[in-house]
Amino acid sequence: MRRILAIARKEFLHIIRDKRTLIAVLAMPLLQLFLFAYAVSFDVKDIPTAVLDQDHSVASRQYVNTLQQSNYFKITQNLGAMSQVDGVFSRSEDVAVVVLPPGFGDAITAGRPGPVQVLIDGAEPNSAQLGQAYATGLSRVYGFKVATDQADAKGVNLAGGGLSALTRVWYNPEGSSSAFLVPGLIVLLLTITTVQQTANTLVREKEQGTYEQLVVSPIKRIELMVGKVLPWAGIAALQVVVISGIGLVVFQVPFRGSVVLFALSSVLFVLCALGLGLVVSARASSIETANQLAMMISFLPAFMLSGFVFPLTSIPPVLQFVSYLFPARYFVVITRTIFLKGGGFDVLWPQIAALAVYAVVMLVLSSLLYRERA
Amino acid sequence: MRMPWNPQQPESCVPDSLVHSDDAIVVSGMRKSFGDFAAVDGIDFTVKKGEIFGFLGPNGSGKTTTIRMLCGVIEPTGGGARVMGYDICSQAELVRANIGYMSQKFSLFQDLTVDENLKFYAGIYGLSAAKFAERRGYILEMADLRGREKELTGNLSVGWKQRLALGCATIHEPRLIFLDEPTSGVDPTARRHFWELLNELAAGGVTLFVTTHYMDEATHCNRLAFIYRGRIIAAGTPHEIKDELARDTILQVEVADGEGALAALEGEPGIKEAYMQGAMLHVNVGERSAAEADLPSRLGSAGFRVLGTDRVEPTLEDAFVHLVGKQGGRA
Ligand SMILES: Nc1ncnc2c1ncn2[C@@H]1O[C@H](COP(=O)(O)OP(=O)(O)OP(=O)(O)O)[C@@H](O)[C@H]1O
Ligand SMILES: [Mg+2]
Repeated sequence: MRRILAIARKEFLHIIRDKRTLIAVLAMPLLQLFLFAYAVSFDVKDIPTAVLDQDHSVASRQYVNTLQQSNYFKITQNLGAMSQVDGVFSRSEDVAVVVLPPGFGDAITAGRPGPVQVLIDGAEPNSAQLGQAYATGLSRVYGFKVATDQADAKGVNLAGGGLSALTRVWYNPEGSSSAFLVPGLIVLLLTITTVQQTANTLVREKEQGTYEQLVVSPIKRIELMVGKVLPWAGIAALQVVVISGIGLVVFQVPFRGSVVLFALSSVLFVLCALGLGLVVSARASSIETANQLAMMISFLPAFMLSGFVFPLTSIPPVLQFVSYLFPARYFVVITRTIFLKGGGFDVLWPQIAALAVYAVVMLVLSSLLYRERA
Repeated sequence: MRMPWNPQQPESCVPDSLVHSDDAIVVSGMRKSFGDFAAVDGIDFTVKKGEIFGFLGPNGSGKTTTIRMLCGVIEPTGGGARVMGYDICSQAELVRANIGYMSQKFSLFQDLTVDENLKFYAGIYGLSAAKFAERRGYILEMADLRGREKELTGNLSVGWKQRLALGCATIHEPRLIFLDEPTSGVDPTARRHFWELLNELAAGGVTLFVTTHYMDEATHCNRLAFIYRGRIIAAGTPHEIKDELARDTILQVEVADGEGALAALEGEPGIKEAYMQGAMLHVNVGERSAAEADLPSRLGSAGFRVLGTDRVEPTLEDAFVHLVGKQGGRA
């Protein structure tokens, strides 16, 4: 125990002495948080929109009304038929058409999600963002889950049925994209610091020659390992608290779920990340290799294969398979569900179990690698 | 992994009958191969308690590999050793708790202060607060670091770093210390100071196992072993080793083009060995022979300008070249 503390204290001193590391672990995540949250902001206002109400029910009229009153859309005209859509786009009168198909009202009364179709002018440079803005905006307007059909109408003849509609369900009634981003960002930032830094610690020691001295001391590998990751676990915990706090206060992200469940799953995730870092640390021969490996197994998967930016259903099957090999995808689901939907253990247990298994496997693997003598 | 309860005593272990109570280290047929390259090729020696034992050899001869096996860091691929009575394979943890080790690279944390380094190693060796206070005082005194406790280790000059490294390596007062080239890259004054510290430790009954390739340091040792290409080619007191050359005559020749003269002498009759030592050419002409007298004229007629010739007492360097020569290799 005393030996573990000695290692942890020394590790902590390294961290606070090294200005670069300090900035990397404290300031960078905050900077990234603000950069990401603003740069990838999908929040759009007053989008010129046409409405095609094919349902003519009370619900559909009410829906159009709320749409009208929201800040997101400016309804410029009501269309009578699908055939008019092409003209609206080609004359650039509106950038989007909201279609309420027959049966919308019935679905709402039956308590099912009301199907809403959004046709976006594919000629708009950022039609994809618009689609998201619409999806979030529309669901906000109606205050509950709305299945949204989003389609690109890039010069297609709508009457000819050339639409490939993609159905998504959005859980983000606030319609704010930061609400959607911040929980994912927690995962990304946590992964980067913990994996990267733990990957470095042992390698640095080997390069300095101090590792040689440590292996001759009576310290056990497991003590060395635990002592080395303790300060990083602490810093990771701090990061979770700070980023979540900023998310809640500055970006007004809701937190609907259980704090305990969130804390528990964060601990599991941090263990996974520390384990990954230690595995790299035990294997890499130089700091450069360690950094590159850490980048490969932390940043890239957490960014691309976690559902943070790309929905996992829209990436190629091979990559979907690969995504299961990294802990980020499970934790993104967990954070989003806990923050935005308030889901509990009953829905999240598969992800939590996956993280637990992952953490155990990584820690066992890294302690095996550490036991091997250099 | 060797099972401790294995009833068949593995042959690599050193039998108890070979280990005496006053032996600090007993090495028996110890080997270490990396692939099919034998870095240490079956060595035997014994180090008595309280001795300063010098382990000498050129670069890559297997010194560090030997030390790492004796410290229980890597397992030998053959043979074995007892260190302070413990078997290096099956009792590696006990070995490590009972020795001090100063590695070839000074193993200090440059971004930590002098005090923090000491405190770290005290923690690793589980010293009590009282014990630490006592050891800290002693080490600061010994290393001449009083008043610099708060200084970053990285800012200390090499001599101080080296003494602090010795302090850290001995914080738990081991009775046996391994020092792997402790004086490499240190200026002569600091080296002398360092050897004074080692002599003090030895006077206190601590056994020292020191590797070096500075021959002049070998004279500080009670006993020496020369390792060359993984084999021990000579062992004994510095005297005994120099005696190998007792009947040979060593000529120190000052010549303008040493390397050229060396090439010219190679394989000439009457020349046992010729090699550069610093700026001087050393020539072993064997037992007094005609070669001694006519060496200057032979060099002169070959076109080399000889500035002076002296008969010198054989040094350890001379002995070393001689020993390596007998092995059919070159240092
Ligand atoms: N882990 C290893 N894998 C392969 N070869 C190794 C390993 N460690 C050492 N060697 C080789 O074994 C030989 C002996 O190395 P060792 O470090 O023991 O030499 P040394 O006498 O300490 O040399 P130096 O004076 O340079 O420190 C060298 O040729 C070295 O390349
Ligand atoms: Mg060496």
